[in-house]
Amino acid sequence: MLAEIGYFALILALLTAVYAIITSVFGEYHRMESVVLSGRNAALLNFVFVAIATLALQIALMTEQYQIKYVWSVSNPQMPEFFRFTALWGSQAGSLLFWSFLMSLFSSCAILFNWKKYRRLMPYAIAYMMAVLVFFIGISLVYENPFERWWILPGNATNDVVAAVLAPTGATAPDPTRLAETANGLNPLLRHFGMAIHPPMLYLGFVGFVIPFAFAMSALASGELSTNWIKASRRWALIAWLFLSLGLILGGRWAYDVLGWGGYWGWDPVENAAFLPWIVGTAFLHSVMIQEKRGMLKVWNMFLIIGTFSAVIFGTFATRSGLIESVHSFARSEIGFPMFFFWFVITLISMAMILRRRSQGLLADEHNLSSIFSREGLFVLNNLIFVVLFIAIFWGSFGAPITSELFFDTNITLGAEYFNAVTPPLFLAMYILMGIAPLSAWGVTSLSRLGKTMVIPIGLTLLSLGLFILNGMKEPLVLIGYGIVLLSGWVAIYETYRGIRARVKAHKENPLVALWKVSNRNPRRYGGYMIHLGVTVIGIGVIGSTLYQLETQRSLEVGDSLDLGGYTMIYDRFDGGQISQDERIMDIANVSVWRDGKKLTTLRPRRDFFPGTEGLNTMTIAGAHSTIENDFYVLLVDWEEINQNRATFKVYVNPLINLVWWGGLILILGTIIAIFPKDVMNKETRQRLLHS
Amino acid sequence: MLLKLKLSSCLIVMLLIIVGNLNAQERVVSDDEVNKVAEKLYCPVCENIPLDSCGTAACQDWRNEIRLQLEAGATESEIINDFVQRFGERVVGTPRDPSLRFLSVAPPLILSILGIFVAVFILVHLRNRHLVPNTVNDATLPESDVPADHFQDLLKRDLSQ
Repeated sequence: MLAEIGYFALILALLTAVYAIITSVFGEYHRMESVVLSGRNAALLNFVFVAIATLALQIALMTEQYQIKYVWSVSNPQMPEFFRFTALWGSQAGSLLFWSFLMSLFSSCAILFNWKKYRRLMPYAIAYMMAVLVFFIGISLVYENPFERWWILPGNATNDVVAAVLAPTGATAPDPTRLAETANGLNPLLRHFGMAIHPPMLYLGFVGFVIPFAFAMSALASGELSTNWIKASRRWALIAWLFLSLGLILGGRWAYDVLGWGGYWGWDPVENAAFLPWIVGTAFLHSVMIQEKRGMLKVWNMFLIIGTFSAVIFGTFATRSGLIESVHSFARSEIGFPMFFFWFVITLISMAMILRRRSQGLLADEHNLSSIFSREGLFVLNNLIFVVLFIAIFWGSFGAPITSELFFDTNITLGAEYFNAVTPPLFLAMYILMGIAPLSAWGVTSLSRLGKTMVIPIGLTLLSLGLFILNGMKEPLVLIGYGIVLLSGWVAIYETYRGIRARVKAHKENPLVALWKVSNRNPRRYGGYMIHLGVTVIGIGVIGSTLYQLETQRSLEVGDSLDLGGYTMIYDRFDGGQISQDERIMDIANVSVWRDGKKLTTLRPRRDFFPGTEGLNTMTIAGAHSTIENDFYVLLVDWEEINQNRATFKVYVNPLINLVWWGGLILILGTIIAIFPKDVMNKETRQRLLHS
Repeated sequence: MLLKLKLSSCLIVMLLIIVGNLNAQERVVSDDEVNKVAEKLYCPVCENIPLDSCGTAACQDWRNEIRLQLEAGATESEIINDFVQRFGERVVGTPRDPSLRFLSVAPPLILSILGIFVAVFILVHLRNRHLVPNTVNDATLPESDVPADHFQDLLKRDLSQ
């Protein structure tokens, strides 16, 4: 029953989305308000139907309806309820439905929050949002239907099952007990809290960027090319950026905890597919300010938002079509070609619309660039860095492997070696601009004026570097790297301090109250500084953990010790064959960690084995002792099966790695502040104006 | 005399071989040395997983093979070349073949240089151009269907809240 409810709700969702597109465009074109309103209501109704379909699948997962193929393939009776819940996005069909659900939710919110304020943009924006939904719901219905059920065809002596949405003639349902016994269970790698919430965050980031794209396209379609589309989409772009950032950070944390290689970012194409929209989206968030403040770069901003959307769809297509594994597996994948076609067509239409409006002169700039050192000049450079970074990462992840396979008939993988050579100079250039741009003014800024404002942050940076040198850091290149990264952080702190100081002087307020007030008055600015500070902290962590990582692998007998980076690790005991609640078999080593003769902690690195799971069925869970200075990170590599007295460990000391997570947290807080609505008028002023 | 010389040369060579073999047998390769080579290689079976951290049994065998080759005196470069010959260019992070290496590294570099030129051109253009007045006649723009006093109403509503 649940399968039928879900399936028909999905069909109705598709129909309402199509109806919303037709009525929105037709009504707006012919100025028929009632038809436009009908389109809006259909778009809202679409959410109700997608939500019903998603809920049906979720209930099926929670109530163990193994006759539904998707439920059978991602869960089993031993799985705890939490992972039964997260199994909704544990495989392709479910995650595509979940994608549509989030997209529909965002669309409904965008309609409800913006309908009155940006009425002229809404009909076409609805049409674009619904067009994306039609595509994804269509994919779910035609290629990746999560409501397919197992059936036994008549006259089948071996009782082999086939999958179909509706019962084939004469088919019978298989025995539920047999289905429960053979159910696959969730991919072991996904049975981790980080991985449970990392995909929804990424999806929220991905679908979030569809909203600003829809507003931009609506502006192009309607000819309403004032800054309204930017105002309407800015907060949505920030929300999308927030979730995408959160998704990337959580993905890194998951990789660090579960993948068992001592790092958090491996430049894997799947990681990069999520990082690419983030890069273009960040460029857009900066560039769009130039249009708001100076009426410049209108065409460029359109290209950037289309680029962000395009990167979202391309990333989704590349990771789901098999393109990453091989060009040929993409061709074999059922959803590969439709996704590629959709991405190509929507990008082409968008580009054509930009060119049309540009030729009409509607995207002409309103100001000249006064100085290269003005904020807009530096933002243009910032955009250039982001675009070059995008090209380098895209080429390394997709361009070169696809080209070599197509034209040289050779599979290549560009790994960390390539990315570590190409990206660091670009990241450093980005940090330099992050350090300079906030101090320059819009319009006219001279080099000498800019230099004067930089004296104090540069002084603070030199002071910090002095402390680094006193702590034993001597390598000039590393010091230069740290100097550049620190400068951007000090500029953010200094600018915030200047804002607080001015407020304290003018209103005689407590500095904390002043900080609250200035942040409330200009959340975007001070949120932005906090984001920069977060990126600085991440940068310090990345440099430290990459350049100063210590690593060793050793086999130890029980009682043996190993020294690394000032720590001593003693192998105490082995607990083999422990069975957990979800029936995974855990082999656990117990090691104690000592420093300066004092025992710090006991770690339990382990290897989990998932019996009865096809494919990858083991997981290496690290044991880590974390401090702000470094992580002592232990992996259990191997052990003697018979007497279990001897085990092999891979041990890392990762300096400053926790700053990556702390920096991520600061970045997220900064983004939340930047999203907050601006308090333009205080209560007293509002009352005064009302009574006057 | 010649025979003596030949015999003594043979003896020296034999001694050298024995000593060399003894040295080779004595050489114990540590896990760290194996990992140093393995981290430069990718698992030939799994996607994008460095060989030093891949947990599959096949990768464990390949790491043992690296150990054996190191014990036999092979250099890091020789081992990597051997893996590339057997499993193809995908086992290394950057291709060894010169044309594939060029294909990997040159395009982003060329595009970056091109990008810098374009950026300089845009900056100069943005600085020096004469602004063109908006050529669109107001009459060609679609009319707003929101009445003007609607905004006044909105303002009043906001103020009253």
